[in-house]
Amino acid sequence: MRSRIFVWLLLAAVFMPSSGAGEPLRVVTADGAITEVVYRLGLESLLVGVDTTSGYPQQTELLPKIGYLRALPFEGVLALKPDLLITSEHAAPEENLDRLARAGVQVEKLHAARTPDAALRRVMSVGALLGEEERAADLAAELRSEINRVQRASLARGSQPTVLFILAAGNHSVMLAGEGTAASALLDSVGAVNAMSGIQGYKPANREAILVSRPDAIVIAESTPGQFEIGSWPEVERLDAWQNGHRLVADGMMLLGFGPRLPDAMAAVNEVLPAPSKVAANGS
Amino acid sequence: MVRDAAGRLGFAPSLVVALSAAAVVALVSITSGAYPLGLTDILSVITGREASDPVASMVLLEVRMPRFLLGFLVGAVLAVSGALLQGLFRNPLADPGLIGVSAGASLAAIAVIVLGNTWLGGWLAMTGEWALPIAAFLGGSGTVLLAWRIANRSGQTAVATLLLAGIAINAVAGAATGLLTFYATDEELRSLTFWTMGSLGHADWNDLLVGAPFMLLALLAAPWLARPLDAFLLGESVVGHLGYRTDTVKRAAILVVGLGVGAAVAVSGLIGFVGLVVPHLVRQLLGASHRVVLPFSALAGGTLLVAADSLARVVVTPAELPIGLMMALIGGPFFLAILLRTKVI
Repeated sequence: MRSRIFVWLLLAAVFMPSSGAGEPLRVVTADGAITEVVYRLGLESLLVGVDTTSGYPQQTELLPKIGYLRALPFEGVLALKPDLLITSEHAAPEENLDRLARAGVQVEKLHAARTPDAALRRVMSVGALLGEEERAADLAAELRSEINRVQRASLARGSQPTVLFILAAGNHSVMLAGEGTAASALLDSVGAVNAMSGIQGYKPANREAILVSRPDAIVIAESTPGQFEIGSWPEVERLDAWQNGHRLVADGMMLLGFGPRLPDAMAAVNEVLPAPSKVAANGS
Repeated sequence: MVRDAAGRLGFAPSLVVALSAAAVVALVSITSGAYPLGLTDILSVITGREASDPVASMVLLEVRMPRFLLGFLVGAVLAVSGALLQGLFRNPLADPGLIGVSAGASLAAIAVIVLGNTWLGGWLAMTGEWALPIAAFLGGSGTVLLAWRIANRSGQTAVATLLLAGIAINAVAGAATGLLTFYATDEELRSLTFWTMGSLGHADWNDLLVGAPFMLLALLAAPWLARPLDAFLLGESVVGHLGYRTDTVKRAAILVVGLGVGAAVAVSGLIGFVGLVVPHLVRQLLGASHRVVLPFSALAGGTLLVAADSLARVVVTPAELPIGLMMALIGGPFFLAILLRTKVI
């Protein structure tokens, strides 16, 4: 009898929520960068589902996937019985978000971040929504100091190198990042200039335009690792920047998400930017 | 009594079967979904009592009900449009998707989304909330007319020409859609993905309010065309002898198809093959008379689309498959099978 009570107590202790203040929050995130923030805050145990843009860190694969951020299902999300859906302003369709809100889910649409400041504000917002302001403030401060370090280094360079930013999304789909893109914003944050400032948004690559652009450095964002094969892009390979090693091939979500990996992204881009003397030589 | 000489079911028993199938599918579609709802909750909501789950009534009345109704209407309209086109062109391969009607309707709708703030601003101001369905209707009707003009040589419809014209129309509409996508802003692109894939995932009462009048009008007008289309089966000259005006019949059919497909595309995007699969099955089972084919296509089309949609929303929960994708998976092989069996071209 006594041993049975002991077992029940043990079970109760195991299954009691640690906070003690009732059930833990059930959270669904629909935006890769927001999901990353939740993980960096160490609050991933609250997650009951994520969207398909949430592929980092790897553990996200274990969570139920609710589909694409821009085609969120109503019942699918509701079935996870979330208290809170944190997503970005890109979330759609509007009808389903409205109905989720009316079904009692707290739906929070955060602004998409396009500057380091906005990225830090978003970290704070996510922390506040999850009731962990302090942890979020610590993380923001940590990221801030890393960002400052990279920006000091980029300022010390004292030049504004031009960068060709390429988005490798499918096997043969290569897009150039123009103005008004997250790619352009990332280049801004490290004092670089987009070599494709003439175009708006992401546009299919014009191979001759690549040759003409003569950038000081090349950044290639892959949606899956190893996707970009330089062998099929001789015009990129021929660019001086590529030949001289001023090139970066990296994960697109890290580069363009403006999440907690933003300092890494900025540092990685800054790393491959040439020193001023070279920029001058290239420009003449 | 129940079966005729060809071993086919009679009208009344068939109607009972079709209605029962529709009822079963309706029940499945209302009771199944990613969100688990107990039968007691569902009964409570239906009988107007308080359900134990507070969101039960919302899931049922604001999500599953409009989705079921919209799915049924769209399926019915697409199937009837297919039957009308097949009667008009006297060919079982005429399908709103194949001959480019759906593509034309969606091109017009996409043009409204992308150019609504610039070139087509006047159109938006003029039509307001109805901008999309009316544009899709005009696009759909225009394309039927175009296909008709191309395929019709001195009163005879050249079927190969019709299908090849469909390929060309689809290609041109696809290219124009691609061009609009190229110029679309990120914001507009969001609404565009929906048009090209076809989905009922967003369906609400407002979609019904906008789309249902057009679709119901098309469904109610269709039976009026049954007898003249039966005459068409015997050849265009017979139509005149039987006292129908050929041109009027053709124009009416084109109008009804444009109206129905346009409205269906406007509320649910591109969903193919319903218009091909359903009338074909109905003709196989019940015979070719349009007085039978039209009503049964409506019932079976609605039933098929709702069934496919019920499946689409549970196979990859909590996410959803686009219904357009499901229908293409079912319809593509079916189309090939008809081709191989009948060798109509």
